[in-house]
Amino acid sequence: MIKNYIKLAWRNLRSQKLFSIIKIGGFAFGISICLLIVLFVKHELSYDKFYPDSDQIYRIVGVANRDNVILKGIAMPAPAGPTLKEEFPAIEAMGRMLSNPLFGAGSNQLSTHENPENFSDNGFTYVDQSFLDIFSPQAIYGSLAHALDKPNTVVITQSTAKKYFKRDPTGKIIYLNNDKDRPYTITAVIADVPSNSHLYGFNFFMTLSGIDFYPGEQQNWIASNYSTYLKLKKGTDIEPLAKQLTKSYIQDHYVPAILQAGMQVNPILSTAKLVLQPLAEIHLYSSDIQNYKLETQKRGDIKTVWVFSGIAGFILLIAAINFINLSTTNATSRAKEVGIRKTIGSNRRALISQFITESLLYSMISVFAGIAISFLLLPVFNDLADKTLSIPWNEWYFVPAAIAIALIIGLLSGIYPAIYLSGFKPISVLKGKISSRSGTSTFRNGLVVFQFVTSIILIIGTLIVNQQMTFILSKDVGFNKDQVLVLHGTNTLGSQTRTFKSELGSIPSVNNVTISDYLPVMIDGSKRNGNTFWLEGKQIEEAGKGGQFWIVDKDYLQTFGLTLIAGRNFNMDVASDSAAVIVNKKMIVELGLKDPIGARITNGTTYTIIGVVDDFIFGSLREEGLQPLCLAIGGSNSLTSVKISSDNIDLTIKDITAIWDKFSPNQKIQYSFLDEGFAALYNDVRRTQNIFTSFAIIAIFIACLGLFGLAAYTTTQRTKEIGVRKVLGASISAIVKLLSKDFVRLVFVAIVIASPIAWWAMNKWLEDFAYRIDIEWWTFALAGSAAVVVALLTVSWQAIRAALANPVDSLRDE
Amino acid sequence: MIKITSLQKYYRTEEVETVALNNLTIHVKEGEFVAVMGPSGCGKSTLLNIVGLLDDLDEGSYLFNNIEVAKFNERKRSDLRKHNIGFVFQSFNLIDELTVFENVELPLVYTNVPAAERKRRVEEVLEKVQIMHRRNHFPQQLSGGQQQRVAVARAVVNTPKLILADEPTGNLDSNNGNEVMQLLTELNEAGTTIVMVTHSEHDARFADRVIRMLDGQVIMETTTA
Repeated sequence: MIKNYIKLAWRNLRSQKLFSIIKIGGFAFGISICLLIVLFVKHELSYDKFYPDSDQIYRIVGVANRDNVILKGIAMPAPAGPTLKEEFPAIEAMGRMLSNPLFGAGSNQLSTHENPENFSDNGFTYVDQSFLDIFSPQAIYGSLAHALDKPNTVVITQSTAKKYFKRDPTGKIIYLNNDKDRPYTITAVIADVPSNSHLYGFNFFMTLSGIDFYPGEQQNWIASNYSTYLKLKKGTDIEPLAKQLTKSYIQDHYVPAILQAGMQVNPILSTAKLVLQPLAEIHLYSSDIQNYKLETQKRGDIKTVWVFSGIAGFILLIAAINFINLSTTNATSRAKEVGIRKTIGSNRRALISQFITESLLYSMISVFAGIAISFLLLPVFNDLADKTLSIPWNEWYFVPAAIAIALIIGLLSGIYPAIYLSGFKPISVLKGKISSRSGTSTFRNGLVVFQFVTSIILIIGTLIVNQQMTFILSKDVGFNKDQVLVLHGTNTLGSQTRTFKSELGSIPSVNNVTISDYLPVMIDGSKRNGNTFWLEGKQIEEAGKGGQFWIVDKDYLQTFGLTLIAGRNFNMDVASDSAAVIVNKKMIVELGLKDPIGARITNGTTYTIIGVVDDFIFGSLREEGLQPLCLAIGGSNSLTSVKISSDNIDLTIKDITAIWDKFSPNQKIQYSFLDEGFAALYNDVRRTQNIFTSFAIIAIFIACLGLFGLAAYTTTQRTKEIGVRKVLGASISAIVKLLSKDFVRLVFVAIVIASPIAWWAMNKWLEDFAYRIDIEWWTFALAGSAAVVVALLTVSWQAIRAALANPVDSLRDE
Repeated sequence: MIKITSLQKYYRTEEVETVALNNLTIHVKEGEFVAVMGPSGCGKSTLLNIVGLLDDLDEGSYLFNNIEVAKFNERKRSDLRKHNIGFVFQSFNLIDELTVFENVELPLVYTNVPAAERKRRVEEVLEKVQIMHRRNHFPQQLSGGQQQRVAVARAVVNTPKLILADEPTGNLDSNNGNEVMQLLTELNEAGTTIVMVTHSEHDARFADRVIRMLDGQVIMETTTA
């Protein structure tokens, strides 16, 4: 019997090629997209779970409430970790990591003892030996037991080792930024950090042993820069421990330190507490934690996982709906067969089994075709999702899971058509009385509307993300980011940096040159810091204002086109300018300065304000509010920014390279463009944009497949009607209109349903941006028109074909 | 074999109720060949469908081999159908996706006859209707007469006690029509009861008895010699 069913199913599949292609193709496509998303979600959910005892490892997160805004941070003072470990026996081990570029983490110029040429590399971080003990990475060369015990030791990853050394590099020396006074000895090589670790991207683990970044730094409870990880004893009760840690940290150590330094205790401290974040939650539950590039790995977000899972489910649902829809719409052509079979003696159960067997055959083919398609799409998807996923061919569960999915989907999507088809009354169908019952056509119409609602929401989403991206990239940020070339690693020039700068300035097409590590755009290598400012003499009575303190030179304002609104620029001939600062407008507002020029402010050192620049956006366009900013003259030499004129950029770069080669013959020039760095800050928005666009295209494609099938069916069903109408004188356009009208009406219903949902969802998305567009009415009109046009094109192909047919044929056919 | 008494059948639409069969009583003995005639819309096809348990009756009694089947549910009817009744339609009603052999085999599949036995019986009956050489063709590849012979073969392969034929020659030319009537006569002579609806006086002459209907009622019965 089964053999008979399969044979028949196969013949049906072949005899109705178009239908079969639409049915299997649409389903396979849906399955492939779903599979890709499942791979992505699985990878996101697997983060950090592979570390031994991962359930015992926690990261300390500080939480406070400022005016009902929850602030979260992972930076702890240097002594916090070791002290808490001493005080609480529940803490089995403690490891710290310092990855702030301010202290030499992040990217550096690296040379080896054997090769003096400098290479820019990134993924540098400082860690304790006990950090290695907690995470226990796999050692490739050397032993990890005491790898970072001694000062100036470093553990590197395998791929980094391969890049710089031919063989086992343990015992070899590397230098950072030409600093020959501080040679680092490689003590071990570890396996590359897996892509599903929140530590992914770190390649150089430098020791914290013997480090004091400034005198007393390791005992300083006021400066917070260290991510602190705790490994707790098995069975430790987390909540009470976190409470005790909070009490000890704030009352026993932090507050006394503040008071001892003669400062005010910030009132928000009363709301502050320490929370222990489980290791496995770090990747997906940290999007609300403030972070200035303390991690190299892009953070995930549980919301993304939800959205992606939702989209996967949606696409699969749409594909399954098409499958069901096409099966039931195809019913008339199967009705006669059902009638005959019933007359001959088939009962309903046998027919249901027959149709479900067919459905299973289709879904099997679809699932395997889907796997093949996802294999082909994987590189594109990896690019889109910024991942390196692969299809788990070799996993034991892969084939059984594929078969199980095919069975489940085949059963679920086959059951409705099976029941519908097997329910035909033999006598009615044999007499050709079968017509689509009104109940089922409502159901089918509902399905089409649902598909178009999804598609339209995605189209609207695509349009809005596009508009927001264009808005961000063209937003007036208050400084000039175009035609600014940033040279990296200029600190390796040492004392020659100034001469280098003046030679660059002599190139005719170079307008300005400035040396500073603090760029208005937070590109790789650029720095940020945290300072507290007071008006001179107010330190005791007031809490102070948080802000940035940037070391720049006198050409900074011109190079970046910052507008001076009061006072003057730095002047190297004025000796007192070494203690002068230029502040932004936000700073004078925050400090309540009516007459800023000549006022004196302090962050521990006291400066005189000589100028005020207009506010410019140096943070992310996501974040509300500018920070107060203070610019001072000094040396921060790793980045040199060159403002060049727009004509013949290639030639200018050639000239700049020639000068660089003269100063640093051993090292290749490294540069980037500031505007590209700016755009790269919003790579995630770009990614969202691409993902939305892709999903919108996929959704509308699948929806159109469904609509196409439905139109084909309706047209066939109305063949006789069309024939009669033509005989009676209907024009082709009248016929096309007749056939398209109903479908277009469905799309209109979909527009009405989709618009408010899309409006709500996209407003939510835009809320993440401090600077954002307003959603315009025409976005909805445009998306709606697009859907109508696509639907019309899909339907009219069928309609026109039917309208052009010779009416006699269709009548004779009846 | 068939005892239908006081049969009432209505067709209802939203507004009107039409009487299709009105107080109809018919008896058919085992081994009889009965033709049912009458103008279009007189209810003869409806009657045939009710006899074949393809349609319900609204009132009255239907004894099939002395068993009351009027209130049978769909499963019981399908069971009775597949073991006792063969159908031949005017429009052949072969399944286009199945070959001649498979079409004829289908009733045996549904009565769980083993494969080897099925093959034997299908070949035997195809031989009988002289279509063996076309066994692997699909219905569309055959002429109308050939298709109807296949349909007859399918109707008799399960050796049913009763064959119901709804205008079996209606779509055929006279030569093919005669061949089919010849086949039915042979089956009848071999003991199969046949009830045939027809418009053709010529075909009716093959029957033992002709029942004439008008407006859902039997108006005349004649026995042919």
